[in-house]
Amino acid sequence: MAIGAFVALVGFSRSFEHEWLEVYQSGGTDIAVIQKTFFNTSVDESAAAKLRTLPDIARATPMILNMMEITPEITALTYGWKSDSFELDSLTFKSGRCFRDGQPEVILGDLLASNLNKTAGDPLDNQGSKFTVTGVYHGSSALEASALILPLDQLQQIASLQGKVSAFHVRLRPLPAGESSQHYLASAQAQIEAALPDLRAVPAAERASSNQLVVMAHAAAWGTSSIALLIGILGIANTMAMSVFERTREIGILRALGWRRWKVLLLIQTEAAAMGFAGGIFGIFFGWSALRILSKLPQTASIVSAAFPPVLLLEALGVAVLAGLLAGAFPAWRGAHLSPVEALRHE
Amino acid sequence: MNDPLEQSPILTVRALRKSYDDGRIEALRGVDLSIHAGEFVAISGPSGSGKSTLLQLIGGLDSATSGQVFFRNALLGTSVDLDTYRSHHVGFIFQGFYLMPTLRAIENVQVPMLAVKSNAKDRAERAESLLIEMGLENRMRQYPNELSGGERQRVAIARALANNPSILLADEPTGNLDSVNSARIMEMLIGIQECRGMTLIVVTHENDIANAAPRHIRIRDGRVEL
Repeated sequence: MAIGAFVALVGFSRSFEHEWLEVYQSGGTDIAVIQKTFFNTSVDESAAAKLRTLPDIARATPMILNMMEITPEITALTYGWKSDSFELDSLTFKSGRCFRDGQPEVILGDLLASNLNKTAGDPLDNQGSKFTVTGVYHGSSALEASALILPLDQLQQIASLQGKVSAFHVRLRPLPAGESSQHYLASAQAQIEAALPDLRAVPAAERASSNQLVVMAHAAAWGTSSIALLIGILGIANTMAMSVFERTREIGILRALGWRRWKVLLLIQTEAAAMGFAGGIFGIFFGWSALRILSKLPQTASIVSAAFPPVLLLEALGVAVLAGLLAGAFPAWRGAHLSPVEALRHE
Repeated sequence: MNDPLEQSPILTVRALRKSYDDGRIEALRGVDLSIHAGEFVAISGPSGSGKSTLLQLIGGLDSATSGQVFFRNALLGTSVDLDTYRSHHVGFIFQGFYLMPTLRAIENVQVPMLAVKSNAKDRAERAESLLIEMGLENRMRQYPNELSGGERQRVAIARALANNPSILLADEPTGNLDSVNSARIMEMLIGIQECRGMTLIVVTHENDIANAAPRHIRIRDGRVEL
């Protein structure tokens, strides 16, 4: 169960990170220009003009990112974009059209539209304001599929953030011939930070893995998994201690027949590792099942994909075996240090 | 065959003491003796006399409170590591058989061979050959609970011989057997001792067995009776 919790929670947080990366990559964002904290919508929108003058920057679009309660049951990721934002190019409209700047219009990801039971042309109440759903799009990531996008000015208005944005998403000009992409990215970052010293230019991939939501998800996943693992380790330790106790005489026989302490220790630890491995296999199955269920539930589908990276499987098995070894360490040490005579006397 | 007494002792015990419970119980109170290679020695004495404790110390199963045990003039626990001594030089036969209940007879015989360098094929072949020697060719695949007491003890003897030890230590080997099986087991042990020239030390409280041994050591109150 502990490994199941580990797989489900860490899988969830990894999948969450992956979805963020997908948002940036599909939108063609190379760099996010932000302030120090992710949700700090206090960047002056006028800085966009300065960004656009920099030589390596092809497009720079201001945006706001927020979470908004659409209905008591559904809280959606909400983007404020300008209608000419380059990131809208990656969306495929299944119905309707894009919103217009300055109009109370929204577009919905297909998953959110389905959960809200809305189609193009339907009204939508958002934070006490009335909007019209002008289109339903398909996004490449689960985060986009469950997001709501509205004109930047409309979001600034309902959030009382006139003139402020969360970040600028920047697309660089094509890579000049003979230059490495890494060097080009670093050079662009330096240009941006020199022009706007109060802001940070962060590569999209780094932004996806280090934004506060992902960091919090990772921390929560590892924290909760650690507690579950600790309980699991105590369970295995108890089982191993009982097993060693019940087989005290057998251990005595092995010692009497000349088995060295380390060999007895290895035998018990091998059993503990095997127990951890077997538990890991079951746990991976349960965790994977949990991820699949979560990826289908309306409440969590937006941030969980059923993708199961092989590295997570290896990590889970590694953690399971390590948990077994940790749990078996004391019983194994105790078993290996039993006196043969006393162990043989054990009933 | 050379007279074993003309050779240097395979085992020498000097001023051996063993006490328990912070010295309140003295199981051995200074035992001195020598046993030569190829000897068959019976150690007898009343219950609680210290005979099994002496066998455990001679076998390297336990450490003495004071005194020394020498194997071929090398001090046990110092010059000779006890694990190596038990795995290479000593074979144990216990009253309670002490077979692994989850292993088949042939697997039980291979357990001591896992303590020394050996390969799986050699282990299996040697175990099979020993069980055939013990007349258990049709019982190799049985688990201990599927064997009679006499058969279990024969498996235990095969196991004791697995690493071809120079000393065979038997602690009340017939204690859990009927008279027919007791006689058969003793006949086997003596046969093995004679054929292989092994040193056989049998702890017993049965006079018939003790008297069958060319040398008989009596223990009383933790001391050798003269």
